Amino acid sequence: MIDLIAITDHPGPPLPGSLSLQAVPVDGLTAVCAPAEREDATVDALWRREETIEALMADRDLLPVRYGTRLEDDAAAARAVTERRAELGAALDRVRGAVELSLRVIAADDPGEARADDETGGRTRSGADYIRAKACLVARRDAGARTLHEPLSTLARASVKRPPRPPLELLRVAYLVDRPAVEGFTALVARAQRSSPGLRLLLTGPWPPYSFAER
Amino acid sequence: MTTIQEREVALVDLIDRLLGGGVVVAGDITLAAADVDLVYVHLRALITSVATAQEKGLLPHMGSAV
Repeated sequence: MIDLIAITDHPGPPLPGSLSLQAVPVDGLTAVCAPAEREDATVDALWRREETIEALMADRDLLPVRYGTRLEDDAAAARAVTERRAELGAALDRVRGAVELSLRVIAADDPGEARADDETGGRTRSGADYIRAKACLVARRDAGARTLHEPLSTLARASVKRPPRPPLELLRVAYLVDRPAVEGFTALVARAQRSSPGLRLLLTGPWPPYSFAER
Repeated sequence: MTTIQEREVALVDLIDRLLGGGVVVAGDITLAAADVDLVYVHLRALITSVATAQEKGLLPHMGSAV
């Protein structure tokens, strides 16, 4: 059994020798396969997969394949790629020369009792006042998170928003960024962080283009 | 992504991408979607504990893990 881990162009640069990878040429593409992972999908196994794909990504464009794609042998890998040859080629062109950056925006604190109390100056107020004050804080915070996205998206080739995870996560976006533009993108996020003390900006990457492999 | 701490921060992103992203080729996929879902739930529980520690200030703040 083999794991299909990435689709690249054929011919491409030689595969890194240390990783026991196998290249299966299929109609102008290469299906990169690895010996089937014996372990269940532990955190270590996931990081190993990521390291392998990042090593490949260093000197070639690729489409990472959904984790868990296990096939009988080379012939089965070739059949699987052939079935989607046209879409895979188009997707590879779409991500060519770019990497994925992940941004999560998290509220630095919960707009709960303390801050809502501060806004009233300690006056006695009704439950409705409290709810209004809290809603106002939440709205301001959410608007702040949303305004971060626009300037970043102009530096990216494409972006995909995912549902943020409540209660504190406000924004979760993947950006497809041209390799030469990564530095400028990172600098813009750093500036946005400095001017947004109420928010935490978690930027990770460069990732293989996981979020842009399928339309 | 080299240090332990960077990996903890990036683990959420890694799992979202490896298990929810990437190109899907048909064929004889033997690791069934249900298995992946179980793995996902298990790993998400782990992440939640890391994220909680971070939000409570038990892990130092990271503005950027790039």
